[in-house]
Amino acid sequence: MDAKDILGLPKTPLPIAQEKKSRPHKDSQRKPDGISREVYALTGGVAPLMPSIDVSQLKRRPPSDEKITWQWLPFTSSARKDNLQLYHWVRVVNGVPPTGDYSFAKYNKSVDVIRYTDEEYAKYLTDPKWTKEETDQLFDLCERFDLRFIIIADRFPTPRTVEELKDRYYSASRAILVARAPSPGEVAGHPLVKEPYNVTHEIERKRALSMVLSQTKHQERKDAEVLAEAKRIAESRMAARAAEEPDLPVPSDIGPESAERAVGPGDTISPSNVQVHAAAAAPSTSVIADNSSTLASLRMLKVYLRTYALEQMVQAASSSAGLRTIKRVEQTLQDLGINLKPKVPTKAVCAEHLELRKEILTLLNLQKQLQYKEAEGSSFRDGSYGDMPGTAKRSQRAVDQDRTFVPDTISFGVIPGDRGVKREQKRKGPGRASETPSSPAGAHKRPRKMKASDL
Amino acid sequence: MYGGDEVSAIVIDLGSHTCKAGYAGEDAPKAVFPSVVGCIDQMDADDDKENNDSETNNRNADSNKLKGKRKLYVGSQALGFRRDHMEVVSPLKDGVVVDWDIVDNIWDHAFKDCLLIDPKEHPMLLAEPSSNTQQQREKTAELMFEKYKVPALFLAKNAVLTSFASGRATSVVIDSGGGSTTVAPVHDGYVLQKAVSSSPIGGEFLTDCLMKSLERKGIVIKPRYSFKRKEIQPGVFQTVDVDLPLTTESYKLYSQRVIASDIKECVCRAPDAPYDESSYSNIPMTPYELPDGQTIEIGADRFKIPDILFNPSLAQTIPGVDNSAEISSSARGLPQMVIESINRCDVDIRKELFGSILLAGGTASMQQLKERLEKDLLEESPQAARVKVLASGNATERRFSVWIGGSILASLGSFQQMWFSKSEYEEHGASYIQRKCP
Repeated sequence: MDAKDILGLPKTPLPIAQEKKSRPHKDSQRKPDGISREVYALTGGVAPLMPSIDVSQLKRRPPSDEKITWQWLPFTSSARKDNLQLYHWVRVVNGVPPTGDYSFAKYNKSVDVIRYTDEEYAKYLTDPKWTKEETDQLFDLCERFDLRFIIIADRFPTPRTVEELKDRYYSASRAILVARAPSPGEVAGHPLVKEPYNVTHEIERKRALSMVLSQTKHQERKDAEVLAEAKRIAESRMAARAAEEPDLPVPSDIGPESAERAVGPGDTISPSNVQVHAAAAAPSTSVIADNSSTLASLRMLKVYLRTYALEQMVQAASSSAGLRTIKRVEQTLQDLGINLKPKVPTKAVCAEHLELRKEILTLLNLQKQLQYKEAEGSSFRDGSYGDMPGTAKRSQRAVDQDRTFVPDTISFGVIPGDRGVKREQKRKGPGRASETPSSPAGAHKRPRKMKASDL
Repeated sequence: MYGGDEVSAIVIDLGSHTCKAGYAGEDAPKAVFPSVVGCIDQMDADDDKENNDSETNNRNADSNKLKGKRKLYVGSQALGFRRDHMEVVSPLKDGVVVDWDIVDNIWDHAFKDCLLIDPKEHPMLLAEPSSNTQQQREKTAELMFEKYKVPALFLAKNAVLTSFASGRATSVVIDSGGGSTTVAPVHDGYVLQKAVSSSPIGGEFLTDCLMKSLERKGIVIKPRYSFKRKEIQPGVFQTVDVDLPLTTESYKLYSQRVIASDIKECVCRAPDAPYDESSYSNIPMTPYELPDGQTIEIGADRFKIPDILFNPSLAQTIPGVDNSAEISSSARGLPQMVIESINRCDVDIRKELFGSILLAGGTASMQQLKERLEKDLLEESPQAARVKVLASGNATERRFSVWIGGSILASLGSFQQMWFSKSEYEEHGASYIQRKCP
C-alpha cells in the first residue's frame, strides 16, 4: 500500500480507461512534496480539507545556484594580541570563505582604568598610607580584573581591606581626572567627581551587615524567646494598671489572654469585646457603663483609629435598639445634612457626633412611644369597649411619656376583631421618620398595652 | 546565534583518583581511567626498548635519577592485570604533583591510546587544583609546550569549572574527590584564594576506614587476582586461593581498595543525624557479595563511614587507621569548613554564597549527603541568609562536573581570546601564565 503510494500508482487496480480520470483524484491522495511521509501520516494521511500546512513553506530549499560547503579553516580574532590561529568549521559559500573579524571578538570589553605617569604621581597622588609600588600594583590589578574589588583584595600581595583599596583607587582616579581637566567644570559631570567614595560609610555599612549575618539560628531563637517574655510582662503590667481604675469593671483574667493576642487589628479584639461586655455590668445599666467598657476594650489595643473607636461606641450605644431604629437614626442624620461618619474625626467632633446620635435615638424612641399612646388613645376613643376611663388613660400617657423608653414585651390585650388581629412581638413602626408625630389614625397593627385597670 | 564555537579543544582533568579526558563540547569525558600507575623498576637495562618517556624527559632533576629505568603501566586495563613486582604509584601527594614523569605518561596514554589524537593540533584546557602554586603551573606549561607542542593552553581552577558547569559565576564549591575535600568560594568566575579551605579527608580515606573496620570484624577482602573460582557443579562455585608471592603490597592494597570502594559506593549512606554508637547498634544489616563469593553483612558502618566527613574525630574510633590523630585534630567537619570559608569572604557577597553551595566530586555522589549537609548548614548559618545546597541529580554529572565545566568553557566563542598560545609562551616565558590564567 505504502509502496504503491510512494510510486504514485493507483491503490486499486483500475482499468486503464479509468486511470486518467482517477489519476487527478489520486494525485490529491498522494503525499504532498515538502513534508516527509511520516509527518504527513500524522495529519491523518489524507489531505486536509483546509490545508493547514502550506506546502511551499516547508523545507524551502536554498536557491540552488549557491554551493555551500563546510570547511575546517583557521581564523584569527582581533581580541587576541598574538597571531594564534585556531581552527573551526566555517560555512563556505561558492568557495569564498567569509571575511570579517571573528564574530565573538566584539564581546571583548574592558574597563578604562586611568593610568598615571610618574610625575603625576609625585604631584597629586602621594599618600602616607600607600607606597608608589602598592599603588602601581593596585592599578595593575584593577585593569586585569576589571575593577572587581573583591578579587583584587584577594590577590593583593599585602593584606588590605576592600574599602581601603576602593578608597585609594577612587580618590587617585578622581585626583588625576581633576588635575588633567583643563577646567573643573568639564569633569564635574563625571561620576567619579560627582559622587566621591565614602570610606567611613562603607565600613559602617559592612559592619552592620556582618552583624546581621553573624546571628545564627540558635541566637535568633533565644532572642525571640526573650522578646516574647518581655511582651508578656508588659501586657500584664498594662492590664494591672487598667484594673486599678475604679469605675472600670475589667476582669483580671484579661492579662494572660492578651499576651497571646496579636496587637493591632481589631478583629481579634471582638471576642474580648464581647467578653468584656458580658463580664461587665448587666445590659440594663446605663449607657455610661457601656461606654466605659468599650473604653476598656479599646485600651487593650495599643494603637487604634478614632473612627474605629467611634464605631465601637455607636455600636455599644445602639445595641439596645433594633436594626430599623438604627436606620432611622441614620436617615435622620442624613436629613439633617450630617455625614454618617464625621469627616474630620477629632476628639471633640467624635464626642459631639456620639451625643447627637444618642439624642436622635432618644427622640425617635419618644416619638414612637407617643405614636403608640396616641394610637391607643384613639383606639380607645373609637373602640367598642368604652369602659376605659379617659382619665386613667391620660394619666397613663403622661406617665408613659416621662418614663424612659424601655422595650416592652408585656401582655397583650384582646384586640377587637375590626381592629386588626395580628399579635406581634415585634413592633412594626412606620418606615417614615419625621419630626412631626405621625397621625394616629388608621388601622395600625400595634401591640396593645393592657392594663389591669382596663378590665 | 548561540555562544559556542568548536575549535576541537581537549579537556583534561587529572584528579587524585581518576583522570578524565575528552573533547570540549561533549557532555562526558571519553577517557576515564585511574590516575595511579603501575610501575616496575627495571633492574637490568637490556630488558626494554619500548618508548620510555622517563628517559627523554631529563628536565625533572630529582625523581628520575633514583628510579633508573622503569616501565610504567597506565590505564585501567594495564593496571587490572597483575604483574610481578609491579608497584602502584601515584603522581600526586596532598594534591601537589611530585612526579612529573608519571603525569607525562598519563597524558601520553590519554592522547595516544584513549583519544587517538595528535596534541599538536588541539588547544588544551587543563583543570588544576584551586590552590595550585605558581611553580606547578609553570612546570605544567613547560611540559605541555615543550614536549607536546600544543598550540594553546589554558589552566582553569577546578572550582571555577564546577561553578560554570552549573551555570553560575558566584558560588561556593565543595569538591570532595578521592584525595581530599576542598571548599572554595568563587566570585564572578575567579576563586577567592584566601578563603579556600581544604581537608585531607576524601574518598580514599573513607575507603581505608571501611577496610580497616571490616578487617577488625574479621572479614578478609581478597583481591581479585588472588583466587580462582571453579565450577564444580552447575551453579555452584568453589573458590581456590592462588598464591602469587611476587605481588607487591601496594598492588594488593590497591586491588583491595577497588573492592572496598565499590562496597562503599553501593552500601554507604550519609546519616540524617550525627552518628551515635548506641542508636545505630541495632540497625538491620545489608548484605554484600564479594567477588570471591563471600557474602558480608554491613550494619552500622554504613552510616559511620560517611559521617567521618562531618565529624572527623570518628575516624579515631576505628582502630588501625593510621594518621588518625594527625588528620582528625586538624580537620574540621564539612559544615564547619563551609561556614568558615564563607565567613572569610567579603560581607557583601556572603548572602549570595550561602544561596548557591555546589557539591561536586566522586564522594559527593553519596546518597543523602546533600540533605544532611543542608540540614547541618541550616543550623549553623545566620538567620538572614537563605541556605541552598545544589547538586545535579545525575551521579555522573556530579562526578565529572569539573570536566563538564571545562568542556563548556573551552567551546565558548568568547573564550577563544583567552588561550595562552605558544607564541606568547615563547615570547614571555612560562611565568606569563600567571597573568593569562588568573
